[in-house]
Amino acid sequence: MKAFQIKRALSEYLPDAWMHESSQQAQLLAVSAITGALEHPEESVLTSIFMPNEIFHALGLRPLIAEAVGDFIAGAHAEAGCISFAEREGIPNTYCSYHRVLLGTLLSNIFEMPKLIANCSVACDANNLTFRTLSARFGTDQVYIDVPMGYDEEGCAYVADQLRELARAASEIYGRRLDEDLLRKKVACSIRTLDLVARSLRLRAGRFVKNNMGLEMQYGLALHVLLGEPETERMARTMVRDYLTAEPFDGVNVVWSAAAPFFCVPLQRLIDVNTDQQIVASDMCFDQVSFSGWEHDASDPYLAMAERLIKNSYNGPGQRRADRLIELCEQTSADGAIIFCHWGCKETLGVSQLLVRELERSGYPAIALDGDGCDRANFPGGQAATRMGAFLEMLHAKKDAREAAEAEALAAELEGLGVES
Amino acid sequence: MAPSENTELTVYYPCKYVPAELLAGFGARVEAVSFEAESFEDADRLAHPNLCGFGKSLISFALRDDVHALVLTTCCDVMRRVYDVLSEERCLDFLWIIDLPHLQGPREVARLRRELERLARGWKAHSGTEFDVGRALASFKPPTLRHDARVTLLGAHGPGSLLEVAEASLSLPVENLTCTGGRFLPTPPPQLGRSPREAACEEACDAHPADEADPLEAFLDWYAPALLHQTPCMRMNDVSSRTGQIGATGQAGVVYHTMKFCDYYGFEYLEAQRSSSIPILKVETDGTRQSAGQLRTRLQAFDETLVGMNDTIRARVSSGPVYVMGVDSGSTSTDAVIVDGAGKIVATQIIPTGAKATRSAHRVMELVLAKAGLKREDITLCVATGYGRDAIQDADTQITEITCHARGARALAPGVATIIDIGGQDSKVIKLGEAGEVENFVMNDKCAAGTGRFLEMMANTLEMDLERFCTEGLSWKKDVKISSMCTVFAESEVVSLVADDTAVPDIIHGLDMAVAAKVSALAKRVKASAPYLMTGGVAKNEGVVTAIGQVLGSPIQTSGDSQLCGALGAALLGLEALRGEAAA
Repeated sequence: MKAFQIKRALSEYLPDAWMHESSQQAQLLAVSAITGALEHPEESVLTSIFMPNEIFHALGLRPLIAEAVGDFIAGAHAEAGCISFAEREGIPNTYCSYHRVLLGTLLSNIFEMPKLIANCSVACDANNLTFRTLSARFGTDQVYIDVPMGYDEEGCAYVADQLRELARAASEIYGRRLDEDLLRKKVACSIRTLDLVARSLRLRAGRFVKNNMGLEMQYGLALHVLLGEPETERMARTMVRDYLTAEPFDGVNVVWSAAAPFFCVPLQRLIDVNTDQQIVASDMCFDQVSFSGWEHDASDPYLAMAERLIKNSYNGPGQRRADRLIELCEQTSADGAIIFCHWGCKETLGVSQLLVRELERSGYPAIALDGDGCDRANFPGGQAATRMGAFLEMLHAKKDAREAAEAEALAAELEGLGVES
Repeated sequence: MAPSENTELTVYYPCKYVPAELLAGFGARVEAVSFEAESFEDADRLAHPNLCGFGKSLISFALRDDVHALVLTTCCDVMRRVYDVLSEERCLDFLWIIDLPHLQGPREVARLRRELERLARGWKAHSGTEFDVGRALASFKPPTLRHDARVTLLGAHGPGSLLEVAEASLSLPVENLTCTGGRFLPTPPPQLGRSPREAACEEACDAHPADEADPLEAFLDWYAPALLHQTPCMRMNDVSSRTGQIGATGQAGVVYHTMKFCDYYGFEYLEAQRSSSIPILKVETDGTRQSAGQLRTRLQAFDETLVGMNDTIRARVSSGPVYVMGVDSGSTSTDAVIVDGAGKIVATQIIPTGAKATRSAHRVMELVLAKAGLKREDITLCVATGYGRDAIQDADTQITEITCHARGARALAPGVATIIDIGGQDSKVIKLGEAGEVENFVMNDKCAAGTGRFLEMMANTLEMDLERFCTEGLSWKKDVKISSMCTVFAESEVVSLVADDTAVPDIIHGLDMAVAAKVSALAKRVKASAPYLMTGGVAKNEGVVTAIGQVLGSPIQTSGDSQLCGALGAALLGLEALRGEAAA
């Protein structure tokens, strides 16, 4: 806990000067959200990354996100002990490492169990196992939100009803009254924030986003844990401004899919704050945005949250994820995409080759990279770095060839106009 | 699976929540998928190797020319991805997925009902057939409540090979309640089968025709809740009613099946073994037939704990002095022990198994007989054990190595409570009861992780002979973590460590600790306790023995004769059977 508190203080008072201002804000938001939830278990709610959190914020509660616990424990180099504890308890070693870390921390009482578990079926089976197990072991109340795969108004009303019940349960368990007006304001703020995030996408093309894998994860966390909070909207606004003024980038741009193994040194050397190649966008930051508007606005906050949840690019058929990645590639003029296959994540593993094929059909080279986003011992990274390095070299070669062909075509065109190039 | 006669109208399904009776109402022949792929090449190419074997088999199955229609549910991550992959492949004439709720309340029944209506419309458009409620009702299989003495197969999808091996190895009948096996729907009410009124009847009747329910609508009103309210599988949020599946009347034991990369049932097993008083054997497969040999050993050993083994002993009557031979045909060595009528060891022999188990068994018997100065006719009873026990045709009877190890260990180290046996091909932990009987046991899964073969391969990677490998790790200085117990991945980790100039003793110690961690996890599953005895070839590896002791927090005994433990146990069990002690 001390390490998280120190990190929070550093993020607040001594942020890394090389970062964009929005990145500094994202880091502080993510670290503060998780540290705060761990510091105040009496007002925290254990949940998963895809759950809408506006209800909790409107009640003055703090979401403690399973995936964030995994990331932060890994950031503190403490994941091995937690995983080992979970496995000694009998948790299968093929299970998602994020969830093994969470189970390890809570079953070993490193962190105190919150009073409520609220999770949804998006995006993976681990949501159906981890939270139920914890609820049974600790006798903690659990609210489960069942999310249909496809969007229609009946499905939206179905999820909205469940979210209303969640709001009632949370109010009762924590003894707090929910201010529906405040909830509406928070949901309106979420919609504005996601709109800004969507608009930032085109601005990234040809700009140095100056990020690393860790920052991408922190952006993703801030946009989930604290969506609907004014600080997050401010961060999104700063992000748009940062990219408008960012220095040009002439290297290779890749879109990243799924979690990023931020601790993996061989991959860091290839992609972190690198002027030759960069992650121009991650789908974990764009899973909730809509490029075609919304059916519901904040006037009915439950329907608006339900719509966002059902339409999440990580929910539903794999084609939806493929379409989102293609959209990200198009809007950022990316050179290719990397699908990170996190250990135990059958959702991504199963669809990884389909994503590669769909991206390639759309003209974006892609690779599926096996690894672990949370357990460094399960991912030494040397072999993955060779694969990713070779892929990036290939993208450079393609980019050079494309640019040479474009220059040649332009020269020919100018020559046709009698202009000497 | 033999191709069906009318393959175009045969609908296959993998999940018990698929509305088989609804499709039958449309004239479809509906069959559960029990296919086991020989190779996962297609699935590995189209999806990913780290998916469960059932999902991967399903992909191979759907790619066959004689399969035209498949109905899935969103029951798990893998099934959703199977749907994605097959949709892209366009290999089926009819591919459908039902969005199955995770909850089972009235709202969810309504949702499922809409999904069933959607499927009914889709299938009608595809097949051109109409719904006939009579056909639907005729397809229901009446539920049977069992109270007979039986063993229940629970857990993840039970592949056909597992069921076959279970039925062949267990003395009691096997009941299949795995995720795909336990499909029980109530009997539909007879009024659903009433014919719609004839037009003439309508004219004569006062009742308004609009009051007449559409047969499909009426059927779905009853059917949707019946389908959703089956005993839940583990993907449902509320699984409290599953607890009754363990400890049911007549149930003598449970074989709990988990499948590699299917996490659901590992969690249920975890809770079941905590609380159940019924004997439970956990078996893990990868969904292929290749696991069958190892499964047979485990299931037979489980059978011996359930019904006793005295029935299996077939003594050869002899008038001379009593000599009993035990032969243990292991993957690395074949061992033989002859004991006399007092249980005293007369001769022992160990030879490498080599390429043919039959030949080495024959050879070891010759050698041990020569050492003892005896002929085959002098042997009152010959008991075979170990992996190759079936290949020893000259033996009088067979007992699994689990039971033999327990008995051998009791002779080698009286008072021992737990045996850790790590051989060339498998590792096992056997918990003994107060009288030295097998109380519980657990074996590693199909792969070589944590076995002698694993250590041998690591020694090869380090270009070191096994003898040096066994001791060099003792002079370690820095703690190195080898996380992967997969032989292939661990080898890659070792290569990376060598490339980083990590000291070899530190790497070996890391490997020893990795094996120890694996053994400790197995030990925990059987609630192992000290004193421990380690047997098998790896008992000679001082580094591993020390590491296991460290992880378990108690010194590990070894015995100079530990490699003979199985053969000795076989001989002693044979002798006890002759004396009529087996029953005791």
